[in-house]
Amino acid sequence: MKVRKVLAVWTAKAACAACKYMGRQGVTWAGKLALLIYPPILRELALEVRKKIFIVCGTNGKTTTNNLLCSALEAEGEKVVCNRTGSNMINGVAAAFALAADLGGRLDADYACIEVDEASTRHVFPHFHPDYMLLTNLFRDQLDRYGEIDMTMEILKEVMDSAPEMEVIVNGDDALSAFLSMECRNPWVTYGIGEQSAKSDDREIREGRFCRRCGARLAYRFYHYSQLGDYACPKCGFSRPSLDYNAREVKVGDQISFRVGAAHIVANYRGFYNVYNILAAYAAGKCAGLSLEHFNQMLKDFHPENGRMESFRIRDTAIVLNLAKNPAGFNQNIAVVMTDERVKDLIIVINDNDQDGTDVSWLWDVDFDKFSGDQIHSITVSGIRCQDMRLRLKYADIPSILEADVESAIWGRVVDGCGNLYVLVNYTALFSTRNILKRLEGEKS
Amino acid sequence: MKREEKRALTIGHLYPDLLNLYGDRGNIACLMKRCLWRGIEAKTVEFESEDSVDFSRLDIVLLGGGSDREQMLVCEKLKRIRENFQKYVESGGVVLAVCGGYQLLGKYYNTREGVIEGLNLVDLYTEQGEGRLIDNIVLQSPLCKMPVVGFENHGGRTHIQGNKPFGKVLYGSGNDGKSGYEGVIYKNVIGTYLHGPLLPKNPQICDYLLKKALERKYGDGTLAPLDDKQEREANAYMVKRLLK
Repeated sequence: MKVRKVLAVWTAKAACAACKYMGRQGVTWAGKLALLIYPPILRELALEVRKKIFIVCGTNGKTTTNNLLCSALEAEGEKVVCNRTGSNMINGVAAAFALAADLGGRLDADYACIEVDEASTRHVFPHFHPDYMLLTNLFRDQLDRYGEIDMTMEILKEVMDSAPEMEVIVNGDDALSAFLSMECRNPWVTYGIGEQSAKSDDREIREGRFCRRCGARLAYRFYHYSQLGDYACPKCGFSRPSLDYNAREVKVGDQISFRVGAAHIVANYRGFYNVYNILAAYAAGKCAGLSLEHFNQMLKDFHPENGRMESFRIRDTAIVLNLAKNPAGFNQNIAVVMTDERVKDLIIVINDNDQDGTDVSWLWDVDFDKFSGDQIHSITVSGIRCQDMRLRLKYADIPSILEADVESAIWGRVVDGCGNLYVLVNYTALFSTRNILKRLEGEKS
Repeated sequence: MKREEKRALTIGHLYPDLLNLYGDRGNIACLMKRCLWRGIEAKTVEFESEDSVDFSRLDIVLLGGGSDREQMLVCEKLKRIRENFQKYVESGGVVLAVCGGYQLLGKYYNTREGVIEGLNLVDLYTEQGEGRLIDNIVLQSPLCKMPVVGFENHGGRTHIQGNKPFGKVLYGSGNDGKSGYEGVIYKNVIGTYLHGPLLPKNPQICDYLLKKALERKYGDGTLAPLDDKQEREANAYMVKRLLK
């Protein structure tokens, strides 16, 4: 028995418990301590995973996809290590393993499902090589932190090259992700949505409109949203690869349904982007050879408690909390909100802490003008950069209420709103806003 | 004393398909709305990289930012329009060039991957430096009373030779992180690293561009005042936070 390893596990568990007691999310701290006490802890615990290790990368959808995959494996009776809270940098990854270990420092797991921040893959891969990498999409996100998408792609290429045996499960509808897989020597399989199912907005910001291989303008047969769609380069022949897991008969409304292979998948979710999340998790499970017989049942029981379309009720107000941290994600959020035809209040919370990206220019790449019309009862802007958000709406001719304090903003709408409230927040606002909502929900009556 | 407004401006957005980083659309929205709110007609024409550009139809030209790779692609297309672009600039045409667009105004941008040839419209050049200069930034510009706020994120260090800078750096790095100055003003051209986007939180700069464009076209650059309370508050919040 390695004393330092055991000590690292114990310390991580104690740190996490202490933080929970104080109402904070201590996962990152727990992982940091574990790695400090015993640097090989991540490598050694990863080796103890009996079957396969998945990592999930990509700008949007990591947490939902990873958690769905984890639940899908668990539904088949497997034991899984997972960083469910979405702590996806090296410390969060180390914590997932350390917290899953027993008090003797041993891990009892068939699979690991780990989401990894793209830039952090560089720090994670030296500890272990995953068997599968699920690559969801590449959108502009936190340009101040990651630089341009080109840099993210370079990092991913580097780690893919460093683990040539790793199989890549890639969103074939994203020309950037697909190009990356084609460039690397890793084996890869694709998933995607073969045919158009909803009309995309022409004004939406799209990445990578030019062929990565030759620089010519890509021709699109259609877009699903952002740059996801069916593309082909007229010059060099680069095109959307054939889809190994092709979602057909896609229907999106109050619930999502589609067919893939022989399976008919139904979920009580909203949001077109969730088709990709569910499909990706399904493809990954199938790639690893699982039958996924219980997939639909798993979807039925899946209640994410992490601020992704999470529901609350305070007094008579129904509240939906959702994360929206970059233009592609925000535009998808707007689409979801606007499919609810009832009158609604909105609160938009924008912070500019390091983890959010300190540059808020991206707000101007979001199509906020869709938030107009009779459906919208009011919009309240909140958070550290509420002033910028108010200005963004002003230039879309949409008036808003400014309330920097999130709790006051929520309370104001509960007291004075229409009973149907959406709270859209960016990254660092998520945890605190969720805590406020949970507390207010507990205090109701 | 209200007079009938018959003026109209056309904004040309160059290569939004290649140079569309960092909320460039915010600059367009700001120029457009601040015309429309005053009853001045405004429209935006987008020129994609395959299109030819008729500068005689344009009153304001916006050249946005892009990644180094995309700039490399755009620099080829720019050669075709260089001569007409230069005539436009020399005859007092209004230009706002941001970030990558700013670098393209100059002679060249020397990167580790190769030299990106610029438009050579303004006597300046850019060299890639060690690391990127990334942060909020505050300037004092001779063009307006309010401090100018924005965000900079650039690997290039730009040297503006004897040209007039857009502003003096009060917080942040500016052109090269050393000179204490940011951007360039040449005739009616503003080149700057500031996005954020630049214009919404700096309405006086937006109005400066509109005024110059109206003067050039109509000999009358008068602008009715607008209620800029929200703009001023957003600007003041950042100034206070950064300069405390």
